[in-house]
Amino acid sequence: MESRIKKLREQMASGQISCLELTKTYLEAMDKENQKINAYVRSTPEVAIETAKRVDQKIASGEPLLPLEGIPMTLKDNISTKGIETTCCSKILKGYTPIYNATVWDLLQKQNAVLLGKTNMDEFAMGSSCETSCFGGALNPHDTSRVAGGSSGGVASAVGGNLAVYGLGSDTGGSIRQPASFCGLTGLKPTYGAVSRYGLIAYASSFDQIGPITQSVEDAAIVYDAISVYDEKDSTSRGKVGAPVCETLKNSIKGRKIGIAKEYFDGIRDDVNKAIQNAIQVYESLGAQIVYFDMPSLKYSLPVYYILACAEASSNLGRYDGIRYGYKTGHYADRNEMVCKTRSEGFGKEVKRRILLGTYVLSAGYYDAYYKKAQNLRGELVKAFEDAFQKCDVMLAPTVPMTAFPLNFTAKDAVETYLTDICTVPVNIAGLPAVSLPCGFDAAGLPIGMQLIGNRFCEATILNAAHQYETAVGDHVFRSAEMGVRL
Amino acid sequence: MVTHEEILNIANLAKLSVSPEELDELTKDMNEIIGFADTINAACPQASDFDNINGLSNAFREDIVVPSYDREEILKNAESRDDGYFLVKKRM
Repeated sequence: MESRIKKLREQMASGQISCLELTKTYLEAMDKENQKINAYVRSTPEVAIETAKRVDQKIASGEPLLPLEGIPMTLKDNISTKGIETTCCSKILKGYTPIYNATVWDLLQKQNAVLLGKTNMDEFAMGSSCETSCFGGALNPHDTSRVAGGSSGGVASAVGGNLAVYGLGSDTGGSIRQPASFCGLTGLKPTYGAVSRYGLIAYASSFDQIGPITQSVEDAAIVYDAISVYDEKDSTSRGKVGAPVCETLKNSIKGRKIGIAKEYFDGIRDDVNKAIQNAIQVYESLGAQIVYFDMPSLKYSLPVYYILACAEASSNLGRYDGIRYGYKTGHYADRNEMVCKTRSEGFGKEVKRRILLGTYVLSAGYYDAYYKKAQNLRGELVKAFEDAFQKCDVMLAPTVPMTAFPLNFTAKDAVETYLTDICTVPVNIAGLPAVSLPCGFDAAGLPIGMQLIGNRFCEATILNAAHQYETAVGDHVFRSAEMGVRL
Repeated sequence: MVTHEEILNIANLAKLSVSPEELDELTKDMNEIIGFADTINAACPQASDFDNINGLSNAFREDIVVPSYDREEILKNAESRDDGYFLVKKRM
């Protein structure tokens, strides 16, 4: 799969298309086709056109373009944009306009990235189908009777539906990789600390990480290089470790050890398993060595994730009280009632469930049995991955045990839905990088994804392995949706 | 089993109001979710307290006064404001 970012940049630089023409083509396609997939919750044509004009002036003056200059893109609606409403797709933040930018948006603005609009998501990033959004969910561009996935469903729907070249999402338990997998795209969850979270509206702070969703591995690498910068405003920031990842994409992976932990394959659907086995064969043909091992502690990943993430969410979401910003209830007798009614009317069902679970596991009498024990198990899982990376360079696993759900599938049972996150949450618990990329289709033509997991700050290693796979298989595993801008 | 009373108590701590109509469904949901969380009881973790992922330590800086956001800008997002302050209903 070729890099769309590079191709469009070359077309602009050589005068085949102006940035303004390109931008207007995307804006027109959004006007016409967004209603089919509900990817965008807000478009920003003025911002896009103003930036595009600036880029065209730069081209006219003969200045070289920066890697992401003039490329039409989108941001998930939990990434703060100064002067542009940012709601996390929650009623409680409707009307909230940040007075500062997230660091990632500052970095991209400096490159004259063309922001087309803000995209749909599960409310406060809590969900796996985008259906907890107060705007209704984003749909899958390959089949609109299916979900785009979540929580960054809008970004995946927009990029998969050719209504943006790339987008930034956030991944707390799989929210970049799972929708990328459902929509047949590349989604990179960077190492915890590689990309600044300043201005990302918090869900679970020790898990949250921003990353790109793109149509090719090279595009993900270009965006990652642009946003992985140390930021003093995020106390967990480290920035990129090592050279730009774009430089090593073409390296041979001969002799690389690819690890397979058997537990990742428990309960996954047969067609997904078959697609992954085919990918393993591709890696063998590229000269990689496959190493099999057990990681028994993986089986506790899901409850550990839900206990800890919800505990952090219950604390992070304590700030929404209706006083300083966002929704405020209309009728109340006193301040306590105002706060309780504001929160109860402003938050959706899933957010309330997670706040209650988080409050429960942190409350006196339950803290040791749940929160503390889950933290200890988190330590064990970190160690299990450290041991695994003594045996291999990269781990290969399914991204999701199945393909895109039909609509309303997730509404039936909270726990059943949580179980679908089984393959994505372990890397968030351990703070590791992972990239999901397409590796086939099911019988209905829906994309299947696989993920490559790396050791801490080894984005270059996983993107290199992903790019080599993509180059080896050609476009057989990628199918562009029949909509949007196809230049 | 989590009871109605416990749910109401947690909701009160989390500053959420639960209507009588919501209580049954929420209690059922919470029992399922807590039952799922209980699966960690089978584990016997050997590791000591988990600290943080990247071996991070506190990032200190000098406490220097620098210009911050404009007060009027910050207040723009509040529904009720007066004379440079957020306005809330009188408590006493």
